[in-house]
Amino acid sequence: MNDKLIIAGKEFDSRLFIGTGKFSSNKIMADAIESSGTQMVTVALRRVDIDNPNDNMLAAIDRKKYLLLPNTSGARNADEAVRLARLARAATGIIWLKLEVTPDPYYLLPDPIETLKAAEILVKEGFIVLPYINADPVLAKKLQDAGVATVMPLASPIGSNQGLKTKSAIEIIIAQATVPVVVDAGLGMPSHAAEAMEMGADAVLVNTAIAAAKNPVQMANAFKKAVQAGRQAFLAGGAEVKRQADASSPLTGFLRE
Amino acid sequence: MTVLRINGEDRHFEKTLPATLADLLGLMKVDAATVVAEIDGQIIKKDDFGSTKLSTGQKIELIRLVGGG
Amino acid sequence: MENFQNILAQIGLDRYNAELIDAIEKTTPADVEKALADKTGYNLQKLTALLSPAADKYLEQMAQKAQQITRQRFGNIIQLYAPLYVSNFCVNSCPYCAFNIKGKFTPSRLTIEQACKEADILAEMGFRHILLVSGEDKKFVTTDYLTVLAAELRKKFSSISIEIYPANQADYEKLFAAGIDGIALYQETYDRDDYKKFHTAGPKADYEYRLETLERAGNAGFRSLGIGFLIGLSDWRMQTLAMAQHADFLMKHYWQSRVSFSFPRMRPAENVNRDMFRYMITDRQLVQMMTALRLCFSDAEIVLSTRENAQFRDNVSKICITRISAGSKTNQGGYTDDSAIEQFEVADARSPAEVSRMLKQAGLEPVWKDWDIAFTG
Repeated sequence: MNDKLIIAGKEFDSRLFIGTGKFSSNKIMADAIESSGTQMVTVALRRVDIDNPNDNMLAAIDRKKYLLLPNTSGARNADEAVRLARLARAATGIIWLKLEVTPDPYYLLPDPIETLKAAEILVKEGFIVLPYINADPVLAKKLQDAGVATVMPLASPIGSNQGLKTKSAIEIIIAQATVPVVVDAGLGMPSHAAEAMEMGADAVLVNTAIAAAKNPVQMANAFKKAVQAGRQAFLAGGAEVKRQADASSPLTGFLRE
Repeated sequence: MTVLRINGEDRHFEKTLPATLADLLGLMKVDAATVVAEIDGQIIKKDDFGSTKLSTGQKIELIRLVGGG
Repeated sequence: MENFQNILAQIGLDRYNAELIDAIEKTTPADVEKALADKTGYNLQKLTALLSPAADKYLEQMAQKAQQITRQRFGNIIQLYAPLYVSNFCVNSCPYCAFNIKGKFTPSRLTIEQACKEADILAEMGFRHILLVSGEDKKFVTTDYLTVLAAELRKKFSSISIEIYPANQADYEKLFAAGIDGIALYQETYDRDDYKKFHTAGPKADYEYRLETLERAGNAGFRSLGIGFLIGLSDWRMQTLAMAQHADFLMKHYWQSRVSFSFPRMRPAENVNRDMFRYMITDRQLVQMMTALRLCFSDAEIVLSTRENAQFRDNVSKICITRISAGSKTNQGGYTDDSAIEQFEVADARSPAEVSRMLKQAGLEPVWKDWDIAFTG
């Protein structure tokens, strides 16, 4: 069955994207990426550690198999995000970008105003922008008007593993979207990812739940299966628990035919 | 005085600075292929590492891709 | 941006689609029950099942659910509006319309002064939402005419909509700037072949230009986008699906505007040629259509005009209607001088006060003014 995910004209078979942070070793990271079946992983930009200049995580990722999606994590405002985006593009030649503007270091919640500002600039500069946002339906529409390639609403704060706390808002975003919706952040268990897919999300992005698991490689594989199951359920069309309609007085009694 | 501010920290050089950015990276044992460089806010293209001359007081940022969500 | 016409063609809703009609006929009670339990808004399968013959047995349940959803989203509010016909002159020759150019009547138009006099009467009755209607009369009902009229009407009315010929985007931008923020334009039929049959001459023969009109208006900033098809021209189920697809498209791309459904219906009458208009529907089917749409579009406006009779309006307004006209005159100048020809026969001739009383008795709250032009300058 042809159920490919298409983002900015690019086809994906896997609807699970993986974040590469927080892994205890590059080898475990690479093995987890492999067992997740993903086709795109996010990476960040940081200053080279002068004392340890050749810790090169990038070497552990087979760029022939996996697309890199640079993010602007660390940016606290639009200017910083735009700068990081340009640096990422200069470093890799990649024009895809996960736009993250998080001024608050406690919850790492994204700044809606700076995100929209940065998105408008970066779309004009030819970037393929995937913005990370709180589950705000109006913000999602404004970003789509600005020309982003997806919207990525959070399920709950980064690293919190709380699952779909923003479920109703994400439902609205999905209903109104003209671009793919990728649920990102806070998915703590495969069942959360399955739930997001059952709701109609086009894909999910998972990092902490896998990297911090006791066995990241197995957890990555579990997420893979959960995303597939959730998507299949969505396509199969689930039945819902029936609620009795309130049969007060008949509304259609007046129709004689 | 020969100093460069590299990644937010002043680094002093005895006698002379490395002539070019490529020389600096070699000195610091940083693999040029995996790094993005900014000098005083301007991004330097990789092809230009060898021809970019350094001068004292410059602010240099060396950035690379790392794991992230 | 996606092209709506391509979408409609891909789904097979712009022409007679025997497969789809067959699928609709073969819908089972189980399919209908699944659709009733599906809370996810609009999708083609869901609406198809709700419109099917099999769903007729579930009509009461559909009406109860439609009422529940409408109360949740709109409360007990129902918005009153009145049409103001400014011109019955029309260069098109649609066989179903009393204004068609071949008809024998004296064409007339209202000057700005006359139109304002009519509007004053409507304002006296309590209306604050007004719908300006005209035929395809670009010579007289120009953009300038409408902007001048809107400037006057803004003094008394808080919302001005138009139901006129399709115009271009630059015109809509001017009209929006003048204070007109709503548009209604019925495609009559989304079926290209039927459309050609009924619209052989005049600017209205251009199916595509007409179909794109609401997008031009949406681009110009119009807040209210009204769609509909003339019930009787083509298979009603296919047309409802096409219209729903249109609504879905407009809601996604003009997310700051509200889509409204209207149901202009041809009714059997002496002068209506039943060979030409073979797809008229029963009251029951119309209720099925309205409730099915409400179950798919919880936030769309659903509009009821005075084409329908009092008994129908009394019963249906409490189910899922959000906007209703009253005391309408569909002839130009009709509020001051009732002698000119009507576009269609008004089947509910009760005054706005009577209709308002009826609505209150039904537990609804008639709202005359729902906006203030001062909010947007």
